[in-house]
Order: sequence, then structure tokens, then C-alpha cells
Amino acid sequence: MEKTLKKENFNSLITGLKDQGYRTIAPKKDNNLVTLDEVQSADEIHLDHVQTNNSIKEYFLPKTEKILSYTLEKNKVSIEEPEGFAVKSVVFGSRPCDAASLPIMDKVFNWDCSDKFWVERREAITIVTIACDKCDNYCFCTSVGLAPDSKEGSDVLLTKISDDEYLVETVTEKGEGLIKGLETVFSDPVAGTPDRQVASVEKKFEIDKIKPWLDENFAHKIWAEFSMKCISCGACTFVCPTCHCFDIVDECTMSKGDRVKNWDGCQFKMFTLHTSGHNPRSTQDQRWRQRIMHKFKYYVEKFDNILCVGCGRCSRVCPADMNISEMLEIIATEENQKE
Amino acid sequence: MENIYKPYLMNISDIIDEAPGVRTFRLNFLNEDEGKNFQFQAGQFALYSVFGYGESTFCIASSPTRKDYIECTFRQTGRVTNALSELNVGDTIGFRGPYGNVFPIEEWEGKNLVFVAGGIALPPLRSVIWNCLDLRDKYKNITIVYGAKTVEDLVYKHELKEWNARDDVNLVTTVDPGGETPDWAGKVGFVPTVVEETAPDSNDTIAILCGPPIMIKFTLPVLEKLGFKQEKVYTTLESRMKCGLGKCGRCNIGCTYICKDGPVFTAEEISKMPDEF
Repeated sequence: MEKTLKKENFNSLITGLKDQGYRTIAPKKDNNLVTLDEVQSADEIHLDHVQTNNSIKEYFLPKTEKILSYTLEKNKVSIEEPEGFAVKSVVFGSRPCDAASLPIMDKVFNWDCSDKFWVERREAITIVTIACDKCDNYCFCTSVGLAPDSKEGSDVLLTKISDDEYLVETVTEKGEGLIKGLETVFSDPVAGTPDRQVASVEKKFEIDKIKPWLDENFAHKIWAEFSMKCISCGACTFVCPTCHCFDIVDECTMSKGDRVKNWDGCQFKMFTLHTSGHNPRSTQDQRWRQRIMHKFKYYVEKFDNILCVGCGRCSRVCPADMNISEMLEIIATEENQKE
Repeated sequence: MENIYKPYLMNISDIIDEAPGVRTFRLNFLNEDEGKNFQFQAGQFALYSVFGYGESTFCIASSPTRKDYIECTFRQTGRVTNALSELNVGDTIGFRGPYGNVFPIEEWEGKNLVFVAGGIALPPLRSVIWNCLDLRDKYKNITIVYGAKTVEDLVYKHELKEWNARDDVNLVTTVDPGGETPDWAGKVGFVPTVVEETAPDSNDTIAILCGPPIMIKFTLPVLEKLGFKQEKVYTTLESRMKCGLGKCGRCNIGCTYICKDGPVFTAEEISKMPDEF
């Protein structure tokens, strides 16, 4: 289904969603940061940005979330299960790369057994993506098989067709249901081909060259070279929409407590540290290699997907100015030279 | 939808002090129906939790042939195992599992078995040892080589006595030089050397190995010298784990997730993994 949406109707859209019981999450400007956050009205929505500083991930895999609660009385333990964590929501104005991360992550959270905290949030949240009309040097979606107007993972895709109007394409039944429920907000498209304003993202490397090189080069010196600058802060893993590693810890007072799942990251030394003191990934080159290998080799072998959507956040946020797409370019070049 | 992180509640019905800092808990399901439906196989592991302190990963140390309970043996080292050590009979802990793959004991039927363990690595083998002993007719010769730093550090002392007294088990115990006591009747020496001296016949034999990395590293070449093919040598690996379900992302060695693809591997499988143990 195709419709159009005027910018001036954003407010009726958000109000309409609210009336239907949706929480709306959208890009919001706070000082200099544009963050995906809950909004109450369209006035708060900020769309003049390349990328939000946080990814869509935290609405499906929160930074910290209760997986069970317990009360302790003398010798008795009672367990309570969390409820109400899957809030009916719309993410409005996510980027296509963020949306594409969701079906990729569905695989790890559903294989063998399903993580209900992920699955129930996925069911409760509808994704309305806005295609990118601009990009920066860090963006590399086109190098990992996506595009600034990819539909993967979106329920509805909006594409700017003029300064004050968007083309609305429904991608899933869920998206169609959402649009149908708010018919008055949308208009029918005018005849003719609309002028889609979509950014042109430079293709930096051939993704097909990456895995063959990784298959052969676990012990290559490049890992030490790449990670020399790394300070092991793990910011890259936290801003990444596809990094999903987590920790499970107890938080407790005398008689009550929660077991919580927290974001964790492969760049931390503690991540793999054994109780004995032994650490299979004790040095930073091993940990950086793990990050690249997990994204471009291990996940591909296990789930047939690259664990990267080219959003560029890891490189934008890195305090040591490490740039993942530059590294992948080097790897692709190495592979080419081999041939 | 089921919460995959929700543990069973278990009652501690017995506590045995095995060695300094090493304890065995016998556990029973608080909910009898859960206990009746629970099944596991030798080689599998679980996450044990003390509410308020967190979860810790170790093997199920009892045999699946002993159906009324589960046992685990742990060394007091970190936050959770220290909290476990504070508990008494009648206290409740959490238990998630069974997770991981199993020892293929049906494939081993009709063969000789050699178990080699070092220190706190006997618990993961104890499950499969008792499993095979409880099905004794199905296997030929059973040899157990077990070593620890000192006599005091040997775990399951009462069971070692029992195995030693059996005609159908060849038990060889050893302690590191300096770890012996005046009345020590076993061997003195490191596990790899003792395995070489014991020289189990590799013909039609499966070797099952578990111990600290240094022991594994030096025992594998000895077994190879004795004629054991890599695919006939099994071991069980450990790693830091949080979910045990192939989601939390830390226990991998290359593409292999110890929690799902393991913890049981053959030496042949291990030889193909990248060097990141």
C-alpha cells in the first residue's frame, strides 16, 4: 500500500497513535545529541540528522532488564516473572540500517529456544522507518548489502519526496494495519513518479572479500595493528545495533532481588575471564579480532547473516578514532591481492 | 511464552566436604513434578544460582542413572561459589539446565574405557564414570587415572576407595611430587607421566580426558604415543558462560559455542579449532 504523509500531519499522526494506545519513540534533540527517545508530540521530533547517537536496539534489548524477581524468607524463595515489559509502541523515524538489524538479531534470540523478552517486544513494537536523505563518511550500509532506503526490518518506510512530504510504503501486514488505523492522516499519492530524496552512500568494499580472508587469517598480524589504538572502552559495542552480548547478574537487598540482564561487550577483559584467572581473550588484539570475526564470519556461518548494518556508529563514537569500514577496506584489499 | 532464564528451585538435601574448599551438594527439586520430568545425560552442565549473588556454571556431577537427585561439586573461588559454601542442608538454590551436548556412551559400548582426570576435573567425569559403571556389562575394561596436587586435594575420597576395591575397575591415583603423605599408597607423579606408565591398551579403547589446560596439553601427546587416534579421545571444555543457551556471546572458540556445540568434544574436533582456549 502506498500513501503520502505531509509533515504538517505529523502531529495528528503522533496524537492518533497515542489515542490508539501506542507509545511513540522518535529522534529527539537534547543539547547536541539526537537520541531515539519517547516523544509526546511531533514538536519534539528532530529529523535533520544523519544518525541518532543511540541505536534502536535498546527498545528490544534494554541496557538493563529484569528477567525475574525473587523474595527470600527464611528458607523459602519465591520467584516472580516480570510482566508488562513489552509496551505497545511505534518507533517513528528510525534509520533503515537500524531497522535491518532487527531481523538479523531475531536469529540469535530465537534459535534453539526463544528469548521471550526479545520476542514479545518485537511483537509489540511497529517500525516506521524514514529513508536517509543524507549521510556522512562513516556510513557504509551499501558495503554490507543494504541501502539508505532498505526495507528490511521496517513495517512502514517513509521516503522524502519534497521538503514537506513523504511517500509512505507499507512493508508488512503490521505496518498496513497501523496505516489503516490512521487513514485520515495520510493522503493518496498523486499520479506520476515521485522524486525520492535518498542519500547516495559510497560503497567502500566488496563484502564478498571479507569472509574468505577471515577464514584464513585468524593468526594474522593485522589484528595487533588494528587494535593498537583501542582503549578497550567498549563504546563500539554499546552503540552497535547488532551487538547483543549480555551479562546476567543479581541485584538484591536483604529479602528481595532481581535477576537482570545487562549489556556486556566483547571488548572488556572481564568478558571471558575465568574464575581460575585464565582468560582465553586476554589481550586487546584477541578481543578486537573477536568483534570482527563474530560479525563477519561466525554469525555468517551460524545464521547466514552479517552481524553489521553499516550504520557507522562504532567509528563515530570511538575515542581512539578506530574506523571499522577502513579496516574492512584493508581486509578486502588484502584478499584481492591474494588472487 | 516460557522464560528461558527462570531456574528450577532446588533443595540442598546433603552436603559433603570433598577437599579443602571443595564441596558436593545433593539437590532435590522442590516441585516434585519438575523433578519427575527432568532428564539429563552425562556430560551436560547447568547454571546454579544463589539468589542475591548470581549464577555460576558447572557440570552435573551425578550420573543420570541415579534418578532421585542431582549432585554438583564446586570449588569455593568466586562470588557465587563463596555464597554457595555458606549454605546449609535445607536451603534453596536455583538450577537452570541441563545444557550442552553429551558423552556418546552408547557408541562406546563393547569397548575399553580409560578415564583421565586432574584435580577438580574429576566431577565432570564422575557423571559419565558412574553412568558406565551402572551399565557395567556394556563395557570391557575400565581404567581410571586420577591425579591431584596433594592427597588432601583428591575429591570423592570415599568413591575412590569404592572403585579401588572393585575387581572390574582399574583405578590409578597419583599426587604431585611433594603432595604425598607417609601412608599414601598411590603413585607420585604428574598425570601425563602416570598415564604413560599405566600404558592403557589403545586397541578398541576410548579415552576420556578432563583437567586443567596444562594437563590436557601434556597428556594428549602421551595418548597419541600410546596409539590413541584423535577421534577416540574425548574431553569436556569449560568457559565463562552467562546464558548457557548460545545467546550471550562469550563462550565461543571461533565458530564453536561451548555451551551449545559442547562442552564435550573429541581431540580431533579441538585440533580444528583456532587457538583461543
